Amino acid sequence: MTRVDCESVCRSTMATEDGYVSELSADQIESHLAGCADCRTEVRQLRALANLLDGQKRRQRTESVWEHLEQHLPDPLPTPSASRVGYPFVILGLLLLGYRLIEMIPDRHFGILFKLVPILFVMAAFSYLRENPFKINSELTLEGRVTK
Amino acid sequence: MDDQTAIEKCRAGNKEAFRHLVEHYQAEAIGHAIAILGNREDAMDAVQEAFIDCFQALDRVDLTRRFYPWFYVILRNRCYKLGSGRKKREMSTSNEMEILAPSATIQPEDTMLLERAMLELPAEDRELITLRHLDGLSYQELAERLEVPQGTIMSRLHHARKRLRDKLTRLSFTGFSGD
Repeated sequence: MTRVDCESVCRSTMATEDGYVSELSADQIESHLAGCADCRTEVRQLRALANLLDGQKRRQRTESVWEHLEQHLPDPLPTPSASRVGYPFVILGLLLLGYRLIEMIPDRHFGILFKLVPILFVMAAFSYLRENPFKINSELTLEGRVTK
Repeated sequence: MDDQTAIEKCRAGNKEAFRHLVEHYQAEAIGHAIAILGNREDAMDAVQEAFIDCFQALDRVDLTRRFYPWFYVILRNRCYKLGSGRKKREMSTSNEMEILAPSATIQPEDTMLLERAMLELPAEDRELITLRHLDGLSYQELAERLEVPQGTIMSRLHHARKRLRDKLTRLSFTGFSGD
Protein backbone atom coordinates (compact mmCIF):
# COMPACT_ATOMS: atom_id res chain seq x y z
CA MET A 1 0.00 0.00 0.00
CA THR A 2 1.34 3.45 -0.92
CA ARG A 3 2.36 5.66 1.98
CA VAL A 4 0.28 8.83 2.24
CA ASP A 5 2.71 11.71 2.68
CA CYS A 6 2.75 15.31 1.46
CA GLU A 7 4.84 14.50 -1.61
CA SER A 8 2.67 11.62 -2.79
CA VAL A 9 -0.53 13.59 -2.16
CA CYS A 10 0.62 16.59 -4.24
CA ARG A 11 1.94 14.31 -6.99
CA SER A 12 -1.25 12.24 -7.07
CA THR A 13 -3.50 15.29 -7.03
CA MET A 14 -1.81 16.77 -10.09
CA ALA A 15 -1.70 13.40 -11.86
CA THR A 16 -5.41 12.88 -11.21
CA GLU A 17 -6.15 16.31 -12.67
CA ASP A 18 -4.08 15.29 -15.71
CA GLY A 19 -6.40 12.32 -16.19
CA TYR A 20 -4.06 9.65 -14.84
CA VAL A 21 -5.18 7.09 -12.28
CA SER A 22 -2.61 7.71 -9.54
CA GLU A 23 -1.43 5.63 -6.62
CA LEU A 24 -3.75 7.26 -4.05
CA SER A 25 -7.54 7.19 -3.96
CA ALA A 26 -9.63 10.35 -4.03
CA ASP A 27 -10.59 9.77 -0.36
CA GLN A 28 -6.94 9.50 0.71
CA ILE A 29 -6.09 12.72 -1.14
CA GLU A 30 -9.08 14.64 0.17
CA SER A 31 -8.59 13.65 3.79
CA HIS A 32 -4.89 14.59 3.68
CA LEU A 33 -5.53 17.93 1.99
CA ALA A 34 -8.24 18.77 4.52
CA GLY A 35 -5.70 18.62 7.31
CA CYS A 36 -2.54 19.94 5.60
CA ALA A 37 -2.30 23.65 4.76
CA ASP A 38 1.14 23.26 3.17
CA CYS A 39 -0.17 20.73 0.68
CA ARG A 40 -3.18 22.90 -0.14
CA THR A 41 -0.83 25.79 -0.96
CA GLU A 42 1.46 23.54 -2.99
CA VAL A 43 -1.41 22.07 -4.99
CA ARG A 44 -2.93 25.52 -5.59
CA GLN A 45 0.35 26.82 -7.00
CA LEU A 46 1.00 23.77 -9.16
CA ARG A 47 -2.57 23.81 -10.45
CA ALA A 48 -2.25 27.49 -11.37
CA LEU A 49 1.02 26.75 -13.16
CA ALA A 50 -0.54 23.83 -15.06
CA ASN A 51 -3.46 26.05 -16.12
CA LEU A 52 -1.06 28.75 -17.23
CA LEU A 53 0.97 26.27 -19.29
CA ASP A 54 -2.15 24.71 -20.80
CA GLY A 55 -3.06 28.14 -22.16
CA GLN A 56 0.22 28.46 -24.08
CA LYS A 57 1.01 27.37 -27.64
CA ARG A 58 4.23 26.41 -29.33
CA ARG A 59 5.69 29.00 -31.66
CA GLN A 60 4.96 28.03 -35.24
CA ARG A 61 8.14 27.26 -37.13
CA THR A 62 8.59 28.24 -40.77
CA GLU A 63 12.19 27.12 -41.37
CA SER A 64 12.86 24.54 -44.05
CA VAL A 65 15.55 21.89 -43.76
CA TRP A 66 15.01 20.17 -47.10
CA GLU A 67 17.47 22.21 -49.20
CA HIS A 68 20.35 21.43 -46.86
CA LEU A 69 19.16 17.92 -46.16
CA GLU A 70 18.85 16.88 -49.79
CA GLN A 71 22.58 17.36 -50.35
CA HIS A 72 23.42 15.08 -47.43
CA LEU A 73 21.00 12.25 -48.00
CA PRO A 74 22.83 9.03 -48.80
CA ASP A 75 21.91 7.21 -51.98
CA PRO A 76 19.40 4.47 -51.33
CA LEU A 77 20.88 1.00 -51.07
CA PRO A 78 20.63 -0.80 -54.42
CA THR A 79 18.22 -3.69 -54.37
CA PRO A 80 20.24 -6.83 -54.98
CA SER A 81 19.33 -8.37 -58.30
CA ALA A 82 18.11 -11.94 -58.50
CA SER A 83 21.19 -12.98 -60.45
CA ARG A 84 23.56 -11.51 -57.81
CA VAL A 85 21.72 -13.38 -55.09
CA GLY A 86 21.28 -16.61 -57.03
CA TYR A 87 24.72 -16.89 -58.61
CA PRO A 88 26.67 -17.73 -55.42
CA PHE A 89 24.17 -20.45 -54.60
CA VAL A 90 24.75 -22.08 -58.01
CA ILE A 91 28.50 -22.08 -57.33
CA LEU A 92 27.89 -23.36 -53.81
CA GLY A 93 25.77 -26.18 -55.19
CA LEU A 94 28.48 -27.14 -57.69
CA LEU A 95 31.16 -27.08 -55.00
CA LEU A 96 29.09 -29.25 -52.68
CA LEU A 97 28.36 -31.64 -55.53
CA GLY A 98 32.10 -31.85 -56.31
CA TYR A 99 32.82 -32.44 -52.64
CA ARG A 100 30.28 -35.25 -52.53
CA LEU A 101 31.78 -36.90 -55.63
CA ILE A 102 35.28 -36.74 -54.12
CA GLU A 103 33.94 -38.16 -50.88
CA MET A 104 32.42 -41.09 -52.80
CA ILE A 105 35.78 -42.21 -54.21
CA PRO A 106 36.30 -45.63 -52.66
CA ASP A 107 39.22 -46.53 -50.39
CA ARG A 108 40.13 -42.90 -49.72
CA HIS A 109 40.29 -41.46 -46.20
CA PHE A 110 40.61 -37.67 -46.08
CA GLY A 111 40.60 -37.19 -42.32
CA ILE A 112 38.35 -35.23 -40.02
CA LEU A 113 39.30 -31.78 -41.39
CA PHE A 114 37.88 -32.76 -44.77
CA LYS A 115 34.44 -33.00 -43.12
CA LEU A 116 34.61 -29.25 -42.40
CA VAL A 117 34.96 -28.29 -46.06
CA PRO A 118 31.20 -28.01 -46.79
CA ILE A 119 30.77 -25.74 -43.76
CA LEU A 120 33.54 -23.50 -45.05
CA PHE A 121 31.82 -23.37 -48.46
CA VAL A 122 28.54 -22.28 -46.89
CA MET A 123 30.22 -19.69 -44.65
CA ALA A 124 32.05 -18.27 -47.65
CA ALA A 125 28.79 -17.97 -49.60
CA PHE A 126 26.98 -16.13 -46.80
CA SER A 127 29.89 -13.80 -46.12
CA TYR A 128 30.00 -12.96 -49.85
CA LEU A 129 26.29 -12.11 -49.68
CA ARG A 130 26.81 -10.24 -46.40
CA GLU A 131 23.90 -12.10 -44.89
CA ASN A 132 23.58 -13.64 -41.46
CA PRO A 133 22.31 -17.21 -41.94
CA PHE A 134 21.09 -17.30 -38.32
CA LYS A 135 18.98 -14.13 -38.59
CA ILE A 136 15.27 -14.74 -38.72
CA ASN A 137 13.63 -12.49 -41.29
CA SER A 138 10.60 -10.97 -39.56
CA GLU A 139 9.81 -8.54 -42.36
CA LEU A 140 8.69 -10.80 -45.16
CA THR A 141 7.15 -8.71 -47.90
CA LEU A 142 4.51 -9.49 -50.45
CA GLU A 143 4.03 -7.06 -53.31
CA GLY A 144 5.74 -4.32 -51.33
CA ARG A 145 3.47 -4.59 -48.28
CA VAL A 146 4.68 -5.57 -44.85
CA THR A 147 2.99 -8.72 -43.65
CA LYS A 148 2.66 -9.54 -39.99
CA MET B 1 0.26 11.12 -50.44
CA ASP B 2 -0.16 9.51 -47.01
CA ASP B 3 2.81 8.63 -44.81
CA GLN B 4 2.61 4.90 -45.52
CA THR B 5 2.73 5.43 -49.28
CA ALA B 6 5.56 7.92 -48.88
CA ILE B 7 7.58 5.47 -46.78
CA GLU B 8 7.06 2.66 -49.29
CA LYS B 9 8.25 4.94 -52.08
CA CYS B 10 11.24 6.03 -50.01
CA ARG B 11 12.19 2.40 -49.53
CA ALA B 12 12.23 2.04 -53.30
CA GLY B 13 14.72 4.94 -53.44
CA ASN B 14 12.32 7.80 -54.18
CA LYS B 15 13.80 10.90 -52.53
CA GLU B 16 10.87 13.08 -53.54
CA ALA B 17 8.65 10.93 -51.34
CA PHE B 18 11.05 11.57 -48.48
CA ARG B 19 10.78 15.28 -49.21
CA HIS B 20 7.05 14.93 -48.63
CA LEU B 21 7.69 13.45 -45.17
CA VAL B 22 10.28 16.09 -44.29
CA GLU B 23 8.11 19.02 -45.35
CA HIS B 24 5.13 17.59 -43.54
CA TYR B 25 6.91 17.12 -40.20
CA GLN B 26 9.82 19.58 -40.16
CA ALA B 27 7.97 22.38 -38.34
CA GLU B 28 6.85 20.04 -35.57
CA ALA B 29 10.32 18.48 -35.35
CA ILE B 30 12.07 21.86 -35.12
CA GLY B 31 9.70 22.94 -32.35
CA HIS B 32 10.40 19.78 -30.41
CA ALA B 33 14.17 20.01 -30.93
CA ILE B 34 14.19 23.63 -29.74
CA ALA B 35 12.26 22.60 -26.65
CA ILE B 36 14.99 20.07 -25.82
CA LEU B 37 18.10 21.97 -26.88
CA GLY B 38 17.00 25.49 -26.01
CA ASN B 39 18.37 27.19 -29.12
CA ARG B 40 17.48 27.28 -32.78
CA GLU B 41 20.92 26.56 -34.30
CA ASP B 42 21.50 23.29 -32.47
CA ALA B 43 17.89 22.33 -33.08
CA MET B 44 18.24 22.76 -36.85
CA ASP B 45 21.39 20.59 -36.82
CA ALA B 46 19.65 17.92 -34.77
CA VAL B 47 16.59 17.87 -37.02
CA GLN B 48 18.69 17.50 -40.15
CA GLU B 49 20.74 14.69 -38.65
CA ALA B 50 17.59 12.99 -37.38
CA PHE B 51 16.01 13.06 -40.83
CA ILE B 52 19.19 11.51 -42.29
CA ASP B 53 19.08 8.77 -39.62
CA CYS B 54 15.41 8.30 -40.38
CA PHE B 55 16.02 7.95 -44.12
CA GLN B 56 18.56 5.22 -43.47
CA ALA B 57 16.24 3.41 -41.07
CA LEU B 58 13.01 3.56 -43.04
CA ASP B 59 13.16 -0.16 -43.82
CA ARG B 60 12.65 -0.78 -40.09
CA VAL B 61 9.61 1.44 -39.58
CA ASP B 62 6.37 -0.35 -38.71
CA LEU B 63 3.83 0.76 -41.31
CA THR B 64 0.92 -0.12 -39.04
CA ARG B 65 1.92 2.65 -36.59
CA ARG B 66 2.08 6.41 -36.96
CA PHE B 67 5.29 7.84 -38.41
CA TYR B 68 5.94 10.82 -36.16
CA PRO B 69 6.14 9.07 -32.76
CA TRP B 70 8.68 6.69 -34.31
CA PHE B 71 10.62 9.60 -35.78
CA TYR B 72 10.45 11.47 -32.47
CA VAL B 73 12.52 8.75 -30.77
CA ILE B 74 15.24 9.26 -33.40
CA LEU B 75 14.99 13.02 -33.04
CA ARG B 76 15.31 13.10 -29.27
CA ASN B 77 18.26 10.70 -29.38
CA ARG B 78 19.94 13.10 -31.80
CA CYS B 79 19.11 16.08 -29.60
CA TYR B 80 20.53 14.56 -26.43
CA LYS B 81 23.60 13.27 -28.28
CA LEU B 82 24.19 16.72 -29.71
CA GLY B 83 23.51 18.36 -26.37
CA SER B 84 26.01 16.18 -24.52
CA GLY B 85 28.70 15.99 -27.19
CA ARG B 86 28.95 19.64 -28.09
CA LYS B 87 30.21 22.52 -26.01
CA LYS B 88 27.08 23.98 -24.55
CA ARG B 89 25.79 26.75 -26.76
CA GLU B 90 24.24 29.75 -25.12
CA MET B 91 20.55 29.36 -24.52
CA SER B 92 18.53 31.80 -26.49
CA THR B 93 18.75 35.13 -24.69
CA SER B 94 17.32 37.40 -27.35
CA ASN B 95 13.96 39.01 -26.98
CA GLU B 96 12.61 36.70 -29.65
CA MET B 97 10.80 33.74 -28.16
CA GLU B 98 11.78 30.35 -29.56
CA ILE B 99 9.50 27.95 -27.69
CA LEU B 100 6.31 29.83 -26.93
CA ALA B 101 4.00 31.71 -29.21
CA PRO B 102 2.67 35.10 -28.10
CA SER B 103 -0.19 34.42 -25.75
CA ALA B 104 -3.61 35.98 -25.51
CA THR B 105 -4.01 34.92 -21.89
CA ILE B 106 -0.98 36.61 -20.30
CA GLN B 107 1.06 39.77 -20.84
CA PRO B 108 3.95 39.61 -23.38
CA GLU B 109 6.51 40.30 -20.64
CA ASP B 110 5.10 37.41 -18.61
CA THR B 111 5.35 35.11 -21.64
CA MET B 112 9.00 36.17 -21.92
CA LEU B 113 9.59 35.37 -18.26
CA LEU B 114 7.87 32.02 -18.62
CA GLU B 115 10.08 31.14 -21.59
CA ARG B 116 13.17 32.28 -19.70
CA ALA B 117 12.24 30.09 -16.74
CA MET B 118 11.68 27.15 -19.07
CA LEU B 119 15.08 27.69 -20.68
CA GLU B 120 16.69 27.50 -17.25
CA LEU B 121 15.22 24.03 -16.67
CA PRO B 122 17.11 20.82 -17.45
CA ALA B 123 16.39 19.64 -21.01
CA GLU B 124 14.40 16.60 -19.80
CA ASP B 125 12.07 18.80 -17.74
CA ARG B 126 11.57 21.22 -20.60
CA GLU B 127 10.83 18.40 -23.01
CA LEU B 128 8.29 16.80 -20.69
CA ILE B 129 6.50 20.03 -19.82
CA THR B 130 6.20 21.14 -23.44
CA LEU B 131 4.97 17.74 -24.62
CA ARG B 132 2.39 17.61 -21.83
CA HIS B 133 1.15 21.19 -21.82
CA LEU B 134 1.85 22.61 -25.28
CA ASP B 135 1.10 19.43 -27.25
CA GLY B 136 -1.44 18.02 -24.79
CA LEU B 137 -0.05 14.48 -24.77
CA SER B 138 -1.58 12.08 -22.24
CA TYR B 139 0.56 10.14 -19.77
CA GLN B 140 0.20 7.08 -21.97
CA GLU B 141 1.39 8.96 -25.05
CA LEU B 142 4.25 10.50 -23.07
CA ALA B 143 5.27 7.07 -21.83
CA GLU B 144 5.36 5.76 -25.40
CA ARG B 145 7.28 8.77 -26.71
CA LEU B 146 9.86 8.77 -23.93
CA GLU B 147 9.95 4.98 -23.56
CA VAL B 148 9.39 4.96 -19.79
CA PRO B 149 6.49 3.71 -17.60
CA GLN B 150 3.55 6.03 -16.91
CA GLY B 151 4.41 6.09 -13.21
CA THR B 152 7.80 7.53 -14.11
CA ILE B 153 6.10 10.17 -16.25
CA MET B 154 3.90 11.14 -13.28
CA SER B 155 6.88 11.50 -10.98
CA ARG B 156 9.12 13.33 -13.48
CA LEU B 157 6.37 15.71 -14.52
CA HIS B 158 5.62 16.57 -10.92
CA HIS B 159 9.24 17.41 -10.19
CA ALA B 160 9.59 19.33 -13.45
CA ARG B 161 6.58 21.48 -12.63
CA LYS B 162 7.88 22.15 -9.14
CA ARG B 163 11.23 23.24 -10.53
CA LEU B 164 9.50 25.51 -13.04
CA ARG B 165 7.33 26.99 -10.29
CA ASP B 166 10.48 27.70 -8.23
CA LYS B 167 12.22 29.35 -11.21
CA LEU B 168 9.19 31.54 -11.87
CA THR B 169 8.98 32.54 -8.22
CA ARG B 170 12.66 33.51 -8.29
CA LEU B 171 12.03 35.61 -11.41
CA SER B 172 9.19 37.41 -9.57
CA PHE B 173 6.70 36.12 -12.10
CA THR B 174 3.21 37.46 -11.49
CA GLY B 175 1.39 35.84 -14.38
CA PHE B 176 -0.19 33.01 -12.43
CA SER B 177 -2.43 33.36 -9.45
CA GLY B 178 -1.11 30.56 -7.32
CA ASP B 179 -0.69 32.64 -4.22
